[in-house]
Amino acid sequence: MPVPQQLARGDRMGRGPYEKSGIIEDMGLPPGKTVHERFDIFYPLEEVEENGKTITRPQTYDLDIEVKLTYLPFGTPNSDPFVWDEFTKTVSISKSGK
Amino acid sequence: MKQRITGALALLAATALFAGTAFADGKVGIGRQETIAAKSGKAKTLAELAKMYDSSSCIECHQDKHDEAQKSIHSRSVYGTGRTAMTIMSAIENGLMEEPYSGVKSPKDVKVEHLMGCAKCHLPQLADAEDSVAQELVTTLYDWKAALKKKDKIAAKQAEEKLKSVNISCLICHNRNAITHKWQDGYAKAGVVYGSKDGDHPSDKFPKMAASPIMGEAIQCGQCHGMGPNLELDEPTQCCTSYGSYLWSYKSEIGQKNCQDCHMKESKLGHNIQSYRDPTMSKTAVDFKTEAFGYYWRDGAQIKPKAVVKVEMINRAGHSIPDG
Repeated sequence: MPVPQQLARGDRMGRGPYEKSGIIEDMGLPPGKTVHERFDIFYPLEEVEENGKTITRPQTYDLDIEVKLTYLPFGTPNSDPFVWDEFTKTVSISKSGK
Repeated sequence: MKQRITGALALLAATALFAGTAFADGKVGIGRQETIAAKSGKAKTLAELAKMYDSSSCIECHQDKHDEAQKSIHSRSVYGTGRTAMTIMSAIENGLMEEPYSGVKSPKDVKVEHLMGCAKCHLPQLADAEDSVAQELVTTLYDWKAALKKKDKIAAKQAEEKLKSVNISCLICHNRNAITHKWQDGYAKAGVVYGSKDGDHPSDKFPKMAASPIMGEAIQCGQCHGMGPNLELDEPTQCCTSYGSYLWSYKSEIGQKNCQDCHMKESKLGHNIQSYRDPTMSKTAVDFKTEAFGYYWRDGAQIKPKAVVKVEMINRAGHSIPDG
């Protein structure tokens, strides 16, 4: 969203039309431009004893990924979200290998 | 001799009266006296203001457009979803009452000029009303809030309906705000409905129709859908900024469509002018592509399996999303 500048001065964000004047930055999607987002999500690991050795291995080999493009006209993601689009996929990694 | 002097005085008085009528509010422009507001005189109550721009006579012939418009939030521009009404009260309490030079110590001090920071777009016709209407509006807002707090559904509904009685009705776009360049194109006249054609209009109240030079142009919407801070006000406000984004980001670099193309025509929404809450609008506005995969990442000797999620988004709208 356009981050409004409080009373058109300084480094504070304004809230409410009566104190918004100007823009500090725009975190929204600009028209006609491709915007990329990348997320690296590490699998949770655990240490276990195997053949007398302590090894580290994934707690799970499957991660349920859920991406939501959410617009928040007001409130929080829990109170008043508008889910513009969403994507879900279970991402699996192999259980064996070198 | 005495008669001559009396005659001269009478002539002077008539001249002064004429000048006083033409320039009483200090504004210039030929034809200002032909507008609905000038012909009606300033509204003294909310009911009078509602009547001044009453569009109910449009329904008889334009039922479909009326039904569409009723679904749009323009038809409840002061109340909104309730959040607009709340925000106007916030603007009074956290804005006007905290501003040391506003002259507002309590809601009872609020006048038309104070409310124009919101009303410029949410109720532009408030400029055609006396301060008593600003007070009635403020009282109704607080009555509504108090009724909600007391869980008095009947009183809350009554106040809500009163707030909804003034809105962006047909006549705001098709008359009052149908002309932006008034010295070039003339002032919108009472009795005329502005649209796409000139000619007779079968209505007692509006016997003429005229082509508005901007009805199909983005600036018609841009009057309210914002450039940024409203610097013409003594205390600038800022709400919608989408017209600014449209001009400087979309029109200057991307495309040539206007607001009406997407929000009315291609979406087939007509006068039910919607944005993201309409599924067709939201779907066509943003391309959202996502892929996800996993692999074993090696950080030196450490193996850290991870999932990579890549998202690609393209905003197909004619302005930044979100706006505000």
